[in-house]
Amino acid sequence: MTIEELAATLGEAQRERTPLTIVGGNTLRGMGRPGAPDARVLSTRALAEVIEDAPADLTIAVQGGMSLRALAQRLGAHGTQIPFDAPFAGEATVGGTLAAGWLGPRRHLYGRPRDFVIGSTIALADGSIARAGGMVVKNVSGYDMSRLYVGSFGTLGVLARVNLKTIAAPERTRLFTMRLPEYTRTRAIAALATMRIVPAAVLWVEGFKQQIDGEDGAEGRLLAFVECSDAMLERATRELRSALGRAGVPETRVVDAGAREAFERVLDAYVANVGERSITYRIGGFPDEAEATALEALALAQRFELRSDTLLDAMNGDVILRVSDLDARALGAKIEMFDDALHDLRPQAIVVAGEHPSRALLQVWGAPPDALARMRALKERFDPHGILNPGRFVGGL
Amino acid sequence: MLHERLIDALGADAVKTAPEDLAVYSFDAYTAGRPPAAVVLPRTTHEVSAVVRIARDCGEPIVPRGAGTGLCGGAVPVAGGLVISFARMNRVLEFDPVRRRARVQPGLVNLDLSTHVAPSGLFYAPDPSSQKVSTIGGNIATNAGGPHCLSYGTTINHVLGLEVVDERGEVFYTTIDDAGYDLTAALVGSEGTLGIVTSAWVRLMRAPEAVRVWLATFPDVDAASDAVSAIIAAGMVPTALEMMDRVAAQAVEAAFHAGYPTDCGAVLLIETAGYDDDMDACESELARIVRERGALSWRAARSQAERDALWAGRKGAAGAMGRISPNYYLQDVCVRRSTLPKALHAVEQIAHTYGLTVANVFHAGDGNLHPMLCYDRRDARAVQAVIESGNEILRAAIELGGTVSGEHGIGFEKRDAMTAVYSTADLAAMARVRDVFDPARALNPEKIFPSGASCPEVKAPSA
Repeated sequence: MTIEELAATLGEAQRERTPLTIVGGNTLRGMGRPGAPDARVLSTRALAEVIEDAPADLTIAVQGGMSLRALAQRLGAHGTQIPFDAPFAGEATVGGTLAAGWLGPRRHLYGRPRDFVIGSTIALADGSIARAGGMVVKNVSGYDMSRLYVGSFGTLGVLARVNLKTIAAPERTRLFTMRLPEYTRTRAIAALATMRIVPAAVLWVEGFKQQIDGEDGAEGRLLAFVECSDAMLERATRELRSALGRAGVPETRVVDAGAREAFERVLDAYVANVGERSITYRIGGFPDEAEATALEALALAQRFELRSDTLLDAMNGDVILRVSDLDARALGAKIEMFDDALHDLRPQAIVVAGEHPSRALLQVWGAPPDALARMRALKERFDPHGILNPGRFVGGL
Repeated sequence: MLHERLIDALGADAVKTAPEDLAVYSFDAYTAGRPPAAVVLPRTTHEVSAVVRIARDCGEPIVPRGAGTGLCGGAVPVAGGLVISFARMNRVLEFDPVRRRARVQPGLVNLDLSTHVAPSGLFYAPDPSSQKVSTIGGNIATNAGGPHCLSYGTTINHVLGLEVVDERGEVFYTTIDDAGYDLTAALVGSEGTLGIVTSAWVRLMRAPEAVRVWLATFPDVDAASDAVSAIIAAGMVPTALEMMDRVAAQAVEAAFHAGYPTDCGAVLLIETAGYDDDMDACESELARIVRERGALSWRAARSQAERDALWAGRKGAAGAMGRISPNYYLQDVCVRRSTLPKALHAVEQIAHTYGLTVANVFHAGDGNLHPMLCYDRRDARAVQAVIESGNEILRAAIELGGTVSGEHGIGFEKRDAMTAVYSTADLAAMARVRDVFDPARALNPEKIFPSGASCPEVKAPSA
């Protein structure tokens, strides 16, 4: 498939009023409302080429269907990276990850995926192709259309090509794992989140035992990833240990070999389902309120007699909450009421994973944003016949 | 009618109508437009809304204005209308040092924000050279950069959310954390054509533990730009990587005595920031690269005072041009970083062809060129030569795969150059956004989008 063919497909679908479900690696299929039952699936996976690799510029242009892993390998050969931090990198696509507006744990340090996008080519519903930005790292020529497409969930057009800037990959990655007794938790999380040497990721994990490594303890565990230069590693280790020691954390284990893989398993856990028996929420917020959010959400799950697994991203303030039950029916009996109760508590909670049929009935995008009317007008202007992922996005866009 | 209603709504002291007052608002730092019908200085969001409603009733377009330091006519009226000056909306409304964010009014001067938060060990990263004067609102309108956006990113990377008055006078809010379209991203850099920002949440950064600044000199700009390309290709992204050619360095030295050598062809100002432990390795790697590329000298700034002096010289470079030329025209283009040597060659060639002196002071690490063409406004032929060579520089940048503005914006001045980088379909996509936010084209009209003359119809096709 070429970009022109992709655009022609969209144009034809619009003429025939055929709704399309746009799919990349299908790894984030648990996000958004379900697609229309009569929708045709349009995969971008055939658009998987590197269009222009410019390591001397620290830029690269790729087609939207390229997998994150393939891109990472290409960049790795130049000693560079783009920290997308999305789950299942082997299948997840660049276009899909950007369209979903995915936010991962290292963004506090390196920036959001959208901030790596310097240009784009999008196929629009009317079959036209529009470019924005370019291959330069600074550009204020008109509206930043590329960033508008990021996070638009494929409802404005299909990202056919993205131009990205890259950054140097860290020389060293080190994982610290530890048991986290309850009496140390608040202090340990706060100590790491405010360290002089900023860790790449700090995660408090409860559950997710199959997915995530770490010292099993009844009260959960803490994972800290440090990415830095050779010269910094020793000091980073020393300061991290001493911060944890002051917080009362008994023992810290250090992992070097396999730290990167361990990090990727954490990312996979963000959307790992337990068959049809689970729904996973992402609750955004500030780092200083994340622990309270996690504890309240856990208590809520307990009140509904739901099993729960949680991940708390101490650097960004995200809480990932997976609730599950013995079987799909048991979950189905409670999940709508739980969803209401959770949104009473944290209106911004969104659903990021879950195969359960009841997902269609949940507030998967949380409370509607203030500017929803304008978003609706934008959708109508870009996709007047509603063929692109109709009904799947915020407010039924 | 217009004047009376404005005075009723805002009070006489917030409305300017005298011709001599209006004339002042028909200029920015470079461009001349037309005087507005009135200038208003609202104090609150509510007053901005009222002004928009009155303007709408009276059929007057609106031009929002910060400090007027723009260079492309973005804040200058070209079709009359009302200028909304944010000079009286210049406060820090909220500051949260723990969450490292602040909510500020659009008229707040950029540097005042960093000064305000500095006692908490924080700073606001975007630092355009105009930062002592230019405002956060104006910076948002142009997605302003500055020397340090090489590693920290431009304004868009630092805006967390906006309060906006729309074309009907209604207020809406955006945040980058909301589910839904990233309207914050659409508004930043939209030069006041999609809405009027009345307050912004911005991200603050922790001051780095260590900062080092070095100066490298080179026999010519070729060698210096080779060194820049090599530093980037090595994956090193200093916090700033700025170049000055001989003409510029001489002007800066004459004005500031900042410590720039004047006996070389080009100077590189390099800053890195980060952890103490990384600085020595960073320094030796940088020194190695610049020596390999033929540096004549390499020295570190020894003290904070020396660093400050070098930066003062850099940021005051445009002003220093007055030492060597009665007038100058500052162009802003951005090219791929690896094409920097070619782009500088082209600039030199163009200036030579037109018999103009050119001074270069620019964000080399970003590939963002700022050639300053020296001329005397009283010489009509020189004026013409400057206009033509400015356009040729744009063309040269585009031929190298670059863009027509790295950080100053399009405004009125460069709107017709948009067709050289974007197709009708590309521009039509932007026009769809405009259709939604400003269907009547009442917000900063005649900006960004090409004029009818060179682009018959930049209008989104009805699907």
